[in-house]
Amino acid sequence: MSEFLVFFLHGLAYAGLLFLVSAGLTLVFGMMNVLNFAHAAMYMLGAYFSYTIVMQLTGQFWMSLMICPVILFVIGAVVERFLLRRVHRYGHVQELLLTFGLAYIITELVKWYWGNYPLAINVTGFLNGTVSIFGIIYPMYRIFIFVCAILVGGVMALVLYKTRLGIILRAAVNDSEMTNTLGVNVPLVFMGVFAFGAALSGFAGVIAGPLLSTFPGMAQEILLDAFVVIVVGGFGSLGGAILASLIIGELQSFGVLLFPKLSMALVYLLMAAVLIIKPSGLFGEES
Amino acid sequence: MKQKSISLITIVVLFAVAAVMPAVLKQYHLNMLTEIIIFALYAVSYNLLLGYAGLLSFGHASFFGLAAFATAVSIINIPGLSIWNVILISVAVTTLAGFALGGLLLRHKGAYFALLTLAFNSILFAIATKWHSVTGGDDGLSITRPDLSLGFTTIPLASLTNFYYLTLVVLGLAIIFCWYFTKTAMGQTVLLMRENEDRMKFLGYNTNISRLILFTFSGAVAGLAGIFYTFHFQFVSISAISGDMSTTVLLIAFVGGTKKFWGPILGAFVYIILQNYLSDVTDRWPLVMGMIFVLMVLFVPGGLSDVITNLWHKFFGKKDDKDGKLTTAEEVRP
Repeated sequence: MSEFLVFFLHGLAYAGLLFLVSAGLTLVFGMMNVLNFAHAAMYMLGAYFSYTIVMQLTGQFWMSLMICPVILFVIGAVVERFLLRRVHRYGHVQELLLTFGLAYIITELVKWYWGNYPLAINVTGFLNGTVSIFGIIYPMYRIFIFVCAILVGGVMALVLYKTRLGIILRAAVNDSEMTNTLGVNVPLVFMGVFAFGAALSGFAGVIAGPLLSTFPGMAQEILLDAFVVIVVGGFGSLGGAILASLIIGELQSFGVLLFPKLSMALVYLLMAAVLIIKPSGLFGEES
Repeated sequence: MKQKSISLITIVVLFAVAAVMPAVLKQYHLNMLTEIIIFALYAVSYNLLLGYAGLLSFGHASFFGLAAFATAVSIINIPGLSIWNVILISVAVTTLAGFALGGLLLRHKGAYFALLTLAFNSILFAIATKWHSVTGGDDGLSITRPDLSLGFTTIPLASLTNFYYLTLVVLGLAIIFCWYFTKTAMGQTVLLMRENEDRMKFLGYNTNISRLILFTFSGAVAGLAGIFYTFHFQFVSISAISGDMSTTVLLIAFVGGTKKFWGPILGAFVYIILQNYLSDVTDRWPLVMGMIFVLMVLFVPGGLSDVITNLWHKFFGKKDDKDGKLTTAEEVRP
């Protein structure tokens, strides 16, 4: 029983991380129709910046949690404004190729600067402790991840559904051209969303650093899972991303426990099944 | 007719030049040239999807790697198998795989399709890594090239020159066959489908079947390249079926240019030569390659072949095609 609870909590922590990564991805896709291959590379950048800030400069984990998303926000805005917007007129394949090339370059730069080996980030103090849940001693940090995901998800939902900005964003997801015609500066909205997505992935990277190790393959690893999340949840759907993150997180966690050999394939099998039965995803709209 | 005779002359000249290469080049460069031919065929097969059908795949190494492994596994497990049967088995495996995967994946378009190819590539990579008893896992498989039996005589392929000629003839013919394929009614259908699929449907074409045939064909051709990859290195590792191998073919095809049939062939030359020389100069050559790729996406989306065509037209007076698609009048005319 307690074993199941531990794996369930592990699943929740990973689900939280997955949600943080895929929320930005799905928002950008829903709005700009760009499947951002560089998204996970930005997540990796977040983790590596965090390594430099925590392990080499300040020793403060909280500091990197504040600074890294800001850096990534700027990088995201620059990428959208000066690179992505240029190729927009050539069509989606070109945009996909651009983000793909960027991911490739970022990965190579990371290997160059930080080296092609895992780096450990240690958290100290309160986060390094444990809590006792139903008689199990459980690391505080994993709980922290899940709480972060809930907070971010909650704030995003509030903004999207309760504010004027949210109305504009949802309108732009639905029909960006019409929204533009109605007097909203849609290119600016796009830039903001892309930058926000990058900041969010940077945040996720900072959080992932101490949990998983920081290494150049970490982008590829989470990217596939995040893609599965947005396919299963439905492209562009925040609710879908939440549900799918939970499903994939738990599936990963219990997959390791129940079918150790198959755990890698389980996630893809789920995706294949969803695509065959309901190609638009759980919460996606029929196109 | 004029266009046809020019193409014919080009092919004959290229073959003639390639045929004298073993007399001119050193071992090291002949090795490189063999590799270029293999990757040229691989990239040509990829461009059938990307350039002709407009299908962006991130999993083309599925076929390349599957054939590479099928080759090594069949040589190791079936003693005395002739080289033709090895090729036959491996091409059959990739054709079947292409048909099955195509049936599953082609129901989706655009980003979905790209993702799915990536996911299936990852599954195959995971299988290749875990299935240690057959694929050798991380250690890979070593083989020796079987000799070439022609019925009346047997040619040893241990010598690089002999292997080079075999590669040149078989893969060269395969490239020509791909070119021929794009000129058939089938190939033209695919091209027109990319431009306006609805209209092709109204005209009574079954676009799904056409796409499936193209996908299967492309997979089989990539498989042929994979077979020669294993023959060439006499070794196959999981990198043959990895995402990196899929990325490589995308880079090659894109740098060479996807709008022209010969773009990916040019791309293979540029890529392999750059790889060889840049990796001597700097360890960071993938970074340089990535930069070139992004710069090309930004400024020269048509790739090198487009640059060359435009220069050609500038100097020889022909109008440059403004729409930037493959469908200039001469390309579409049956």
